[in-house]
Amino acid sequence: MLQTTMSRRTFVGGSVVLGALLTSVRFSKAFVAPSLSYKRKRIANIRDLKNHKPVMFNYPDKDSPAMLVKLGRPAIGGVGPGKDIVAFSALCTHQGCPLNYSKVRFVCKCHYSMFDPAKNGQTYQGHASEWLPQIRLSVDSRGNIYAEAVEGLVWGRVINILPK
Amino acid sequence: MALFARKDRLPIPPKNAEKKTTVCQYCNVGCGYDVYKWPVGKDGGKKPSQNALGIDFTKQRVALQGQAIVENMHTVITGKDGKQYNVLVIPSKNSPINRGNYSIRGGTNAQATYAPSKPTRNRLHYPLLRVGDQFQPVSWEEAIDIVARVVKGVKDNWGPDSIAMKVHDHGGSGSGFEDNWAVGKFFFIAVGTRMLSIHNRPAYNSEVWGQRERGTHELNYCYEDARLADTIVLWGANSFETASVFYTQHMLPNLQGATTEEKKKVYKRGEPVEAARMIVVDPRRTASVTVAEDVAPGRVLHLRPRLGTDYVLANAIARAIYEKGWHDKEFIEKRTDLKTFEDYKKKSLMLDVPYDRFMRDVEKLTGVSRKDIEKAAEWIAKPKKGGYRRRTLTIYEKGVIWGYKNYDTIAAISQIAALTGNYGKPGTGCGRQGGHQEGYVRPHSRSRAKLVGSIYAGGPPPNIDEYVKNDLKSKVYFVSGTDPYLSTPNAQAYKKRVHERTLALTEFLSEYAAAAGEPAGSEERARRIIEGLGKTQGLFLVVINMYQNETARDAHLILPAAGWGETPTTYINCNSRLLRIADKFADPPGDAKPDWWIWGRIATRMKELYEAEGNHEEAKYCSGMDWKSAAEVFADGASEFPNNKLSKADEAKLPAECYKGVTHDLLRKLGQKGIQTPVRIDPKTGKLVGTKRRYTYKFGTSDGKFKWYGTDPWSPDLNEFYPPQITKYFKNGNDRKFPFWFTNGRTQIFWQTGYHDRYLPEKVYTIPMPYIEMNTKDAKRLGIKSGDIVEVYNMEGNCVAVVYVNDSPPPGTVYGLMYRFHESLNHLTTDYTDPKTTIPWYKASRVGIRKLSGSLEHVRKFTSFLPINDFS
Repeated sequence: MLQTTMSRRTFVGGSVVLGALLTSVRFSKAFVAPSLSYKRKRIANIRDLKNHKPVMFNYPDKDSPAMLVKLGRPAIGGVGPGKDIVAFSALCTHQGCPLNYSKVRFVCKCHYSMFDPAKNGQTYQGHASEWLPQIRLSVDSRGNIYAEAVEGLVWGRVINILPK
Repeated sequence: MALFARKDRLPIPPKNAEKKTTVCQYCNVGCGYDVYKWPVGKDGGKKPSQNALGIDFTKQRVALQGQAIVENMHTVITGKDGKQYNVLVIPSKNSPINRGNYSIRGGTNAQATYAPSKPTRNRLHYPLLRVGDQFQPVSWEEAIDIVARVVKGVKDNWGPDSIAMKVHDHGGSGSGFEDNWAVGKFFFIAVGTRMLSIHNRPAYNSEVWGQRERGTHELNYCYEDARLADTIVLWGANSFETASVFYTQHMLPNLQGATTEEKKKVYKRGEPVEAARMIVVDPRRTASVTVAEDVAPGRVLHLRPRLGTDYVLANAIARAIYEKGWHDKEFIEKRTDLKTFEDYKKKSLMLDVPYDRFMRDVEKLTGVSRKDIEKAAEWIAKPKKGGYRRRTLTIYEKGVIWGYKNYDTIAAISQIAALTGNYGKPGTGCGRQGGHQEGYVRPHSRSRAKLVGSIYAGGPPPNIDEYVKNDLKSKVYFVSGTDPYLSTPNAQAYKKRVHERTLALTEFLSEYAAAAGEPAGSEERARRIIEGLGKTQGLFLVVINMYQNETARDAHLILPAAGWGETPTTYINCNSRLLRIADKFADPPGDAKPDWWIWGRIATRMKELYEAEGNHEEAKYCSGMDWKSAAEVFADGASEFPNNKLSKADEAKLPAECYKGVTHDLLRKLGQKGIQTPVRIDPKTGKLVGTKRRYTYKFGTSDGKFKWYGTDPWSPDLNEFYPPQITKYFKNGNDRKFPFWFTNGRTQIFWQTGYHDRYLPEKVYTIPMPYIEMNTKDAKRLGIKSGDIVEVYNMEGNCVAVVYVNDSPPPGTVYGLMYRFHESLNHLTTDYTDPKTTIPWYKASRVGIRKLSGSLEHVRKFTSFLPINDFS
């Protein structure tokens, strides 16, 4: 395509309108999650999970706590035979406080935002303007559950994968 | 699978990013925000030395302490230069109000900016003229000429009162003092009409004359008082959802006991210091109740009065206080008017009626137990150990403002504070919470129309909804910065009539054009419009807005307005009267213009037309509005304020918003610090000084004393207590047809009609349609579950809504979202207004509920129905 063969110099020198269009495409593609190279990580095995007993883990790195939970009913983005296993960043998207899981939802006790894990981490009450970033999961033939990527920005970062 | 595109990285502002000060465009709290703008592709680096924020972006930030920067705080806009810019709008850590905190509304401020590649592209770009069934873009010259000629012609033929309006008032929602002044100058002076009404109600009135006429403006406390109070009373205010950051940033720490050090600094020596208690008066078990209970179990009292009985409850709490001798005798003696106090004791406290009998009647009417009333009295007024007075801050809002008997209710609540000495001291105050922020400055001193106050001050003012519905003397109707097809009470009847009347004019013009061709220009078009207004029942409707809203569907002319961030503007918040600038950082879409410019151009064109015919007298009234900048309008507005070179004690004499001496440039220098109105010029130093807390020395009356008021008598019999708009539902079998009480309110999730929010995926999924909350017991009886679709109906109108079953409304009462993006539960509200103030009673009517067959699968699948008031 035209834009991929253009040099930076041509690009800058191009018309304002064309430049604007190209930048827009480049921008929108570059930032839609998952736009980064996430490493796959094993979290648990299906047979170890019990309904409403969350499993804590860190993803994509040690400074980003996350929670995997089996809801016992189908959820958006759920995996497993019941499509009910989901995982989310465990930091409130509002100001980064750790979340509690109870009564089939996540609650933040700092400013009382609540997120529905069955509905894509939807903020159904509270201050958080962002839904909880959902962690994309996969399951292999032996029932191992893997984290694959984070859909949404983890609180406290401008990029989900921090430089080493 | 995310339901919509999410981001996992954001660009970083470079060191040379342009930085602007702004204030949230949404609610009363007025959180400060910082804006960073820089060209796309010129990002800063992750190291603190490489970016504008000085943040180390290579590391995870610390919860609460770290700057919040989330996906919705970033957008890309296109400048007038055709170039793209990154814009980051982040909650300011330098703001004393929010200190880096933000709400679900303010967190999306950046998304409300206009961008051609985003849903905000739906903004109005050009003036639109109705021709038959279509809207056609026209130039500003053409549009302004039509409006000016029609307004002038109608006024010349039928007088100034033939021009009516419903316009955004007293600032807020991203438009402040500047637009407010321009609107006032246009209608008060250039037109001189009395037929004015305010964005959310049918008349031109204060919602709180019941307090103002006591000598206290409703914004008298400051945010620190919420941190210092012994008791916080929320009366008809669901602050967790409608003043979110004020609640979590300042009230919660006090409930948690985290502000005791601050208290020790200002309390008297030896005065007991404790974590606060909270009293919530609300028929619903709102999130404001349940969050407080989670934080401070045992220190929350929830009173649930029957709808509309608040003034009786307030008087009963006052009576209990008086009965126990907990009133502040010294304060009453020194600071209040003892003559009117007699009236208060007789009519409000009803001291002639024995206490036991009084309380029995109160219990019967309000449904609140004597025990709870006395407990509230104790928490508000029982002196602390050592005889120190309790410091009680009372914050009330729409639950009572828009209640039955507006005047008496607001008076009754504000008088409890006077009875207990809770004005003008740290940790005290009594006033409204506010809906939006405030920017009231209008040329009252030069108004050509006589504007009236409550029934006790020359009023009540006329009901303009009824005027445009029923009185053919109304010919031109301006609707600006509001969407009354959703928001006015009894909306179904209102829009039916406005539609009929606007259509009558449209049909006249179409028939004219069919016979004689379309008019050759704006002069001929205006002539035909005026002719049509004379020959039909027609109404010429002009809508000025950022978007083509619901009301615009019947407009003849739609004028595109600039929004927040597209012109510099100024307003004060409600919790502290803190004046700051919300600066310009973006350009409006297309040819959209600031409101002040639009009103100024119409007036100036009228001036030219009057001059051309030699009417220099009228031309004079239309002059002085040819402003070139927002700063100039702001300075012009300051001319309305009285001399503010006054001592500290005389601040009570100043209007709450007085900003005389303040300029846009000064506010840019002050940044998030701002200055608290009323602003004075210190007589000694000549310097501008703000007012932290009001009425420490005097009240705003001629003798400086608080004026008491005796409220109306009442009967414990509901048939006698309520007005005919309600009692008609008790008669002729209507009690069985409409068995539920209906009340309504807001949601934390989105702002007002969702004019911006309706384009954000989060909001559309979470609030996919209007909703009602129904108590679990009622739902069980009717076989209704969360997610079911019902029709809510009564003798006023109907609305279809999705149901949330929870324990928030009491059994027998349903609660509805007041309106959503296109739909309105105001179809169910009655046309009752308080005869003393013309303030409507939105908060109560009677309804029937019918479950509709089937359901909306999309709503069931993607919307959360978890209870929004359970945080345990």
